[in-house]
Amino acid sequence: MNKPRAWLRPAAALLAGILFFLPIYLVLVNVFKDGSDIVSNPVGLPVPPTLDNIQSVLSRPDHLFWYGLMNSTEVTVISILIVTAISAMLGHYLARSNGVLAKVAMVTLLCGLMVPPAVILTPITEVLRTLGLMSTVPGLVLAYVGYYMPFGVFVFAGFAKTIPREIEEAAAIDGAGAFRAFWQVVFPLMRPASSSVLIFLGVWIWNDFLNPLIILGPAAGTTVTVGIYRSIGEHQADYGSVFALMFLATLPILVFFLVFQKQFVKGLTGGATKG
Amino acid sequence: MRIRTLTRPARFPATLESSGVAGEGPPTTVPKRSPHRSRRARSRDRLSRFTLFAAPGLLVYLALVLVPVCITIGYSFTNKNPFNPPTRWVGADNLTNLASDDEFLTALGNTVLVTVIVTIATNAGGLAIALLLDRRGWLYNVLRSVFFLPVVLSAVVVSVIWQAILVDDGLLNSMLRRLGTSNPPGWLSDPDLALYTVSWVIAWQGLGFCVVIYLAGLQGIPQELQEAASIDGCGPLMRFRHVTWPMLAPAVTINTVMSLIGGFKAYDQVQVLTNGGPGPGTTSTLAFEVVQTAFNGNHIGYASAMAVAMLVMVAVVSVIALGLLQKREVSS
Repeated sequence: MNKPRAWLRPAAALLAGILFFLPIYLVLVNVFKDGSDIVSNPVGLPVPPTLDNIQSVLSRPDHLFWYGLMNSTEVTVISILIVTAISAMLGHYLARSNGVLAKVAMVTLLCGLMVPPAVILTPITEVLRTLGLMSTVPGLVLAYVGYYMPFGVFVFAGFAKTIPREIEEAAAIDGAGAFRAFWQVVFPLMRPASSSVLIFLGVWIWNDFLNPLIILGPAAGTTVTVGIYRSIGEHQADYGSVFALMFLATLPILVFFLVFQKQFVKGLTGGATKG
Repeated sequence: MRIRTLTRPARFPATLESSGVAGEGPPTTVPKRSPHRSRRARSRDRLSRFTLFAAPGLLVYLALVLVPVCITIGYSFTNKNPFNPPTRWVGADNLTNLASDDEFLTALGNTVLVTVIVTIATNAGGLAIALLLDRRGWLYNVLRSVFFLPVVLSAVVVSVIWQAILVDDGLLNSMLRRLGTSNPPGWLSDPDLALYTVSWVIAWQGLGFCVVIYLAGLQGIPQELQEAASIDGCGPLMRFRHVTWPMLAPAVTINTVMSLIGGFKAYDQVQVLTNGGPGPGTTSTLAFEVVQTAFNGNHIGYASAMAVAMLVMVAVVSVIALGLLQKREVSS
């Protein structure tokens, strides 16, 4: 507040930020150093930078990174699209229904928000095995669709209440069936809710570890996150290539985050300021 | 374009009502509003709406969450083990065994400790950082992103980073040795220390979440309130105590509940950082213990009993925390 100490706040903030960022800095600089430099000088800048670590990850004979990237992309994209579509319909439906059954369904779904994944993992593997989907990408997608349904419904049902009913009635009068009215009129209006659900689930599913580890198993390949875990067992001390793998695996989600940062934070803070 | 034409009547609902539905369009376009529609047709219509909109979501949720929860509860009363058939009903044996199972009780204690540490650390640290960053300018914008960054990283990535730093001959200890410490601590290998290290890593990752929530809370406090308190002679500390802190109540609720639920779920960090060790179960959490017992030990019945205990605890803790904190919101 008083002038002579005006530098104190930015200085303290900067110092806290630097200390906090150190671990990430260590990864970023060491990706571009070769092994001996990492051990002898972990903190220094990489001069001259080398791309050897990244190249060695990209050209692994077992294609760990590329297969992981393909699996992660496939699982994440398909899961978030299906959850968004289905939970938007369900959330909107429940928000518009006044019956007792709808209320029960809503409460049951909300309870699902706090079920830890570990609690239901064994039975999920059995359900998937019964369906013939264990150790497959569709099986993992199905597990995500079920597990994240409560979150989607929660977001969409909350948002649907802010959309005036008259809009849907107008669409019906204009001759649109319920299905068309929803997808062409209501769903576009729920864009903020859709982007929240897509962004959050995108990050959560991309980063998930336990479900792909158990459901995909070693047979059906891995996601990038599980790939990182598997690779630290192989070469304990080779930080260069482990860091490079993490760097490459995180890059897509990082770009995704930087592009959607505003919406991400908006989605997070929706409830923090209410009265 | 199409949306705009459709929304127009909604913006003027009075017009819509006064002009009358039947007179507006040709009758063929409004069969659904016809008074002659039979009750059966209407209930068929409701059924088709349910099938179309609600059934897919409910069905998947039922099959992959509700049924699994019920199966877990069912298994918790059996001795199910795929490599040791037949499966028998053992009643409450599993649950009573849990009460005297040191491994389980250690995991329970660890989970509670980790959850408490993480909840306090992320809330205290997050509030402090948020107060520090609650200004405009590019520096504060950049720092906000810096603190938030770990939230979008995978817990596995975060754990591997910290493992590289904290293992016995890792980056931190080699630096400490160079500075002259002959015997630096075994952050992850000392049984007395490892659990705190794991908590530290979880808290580091979760801090940014709390920062963002508290910042939003701070920005929601009207400037006039602070000014009024100043005029009434409140110093910065009094202003924090009597204006900022009560106004932050909703943010505290969200952060606490999220940290509590997150702490109870802690799994990834344990598996990557310590794999439950060093020594038997010194850093094992409930989630870790459940998965180990089920998938490595194949004691599905027993693991299910643990899972049920865990589920009950998560539910009780969240309900209590939510109730207490929301009471504070209302009263303050």
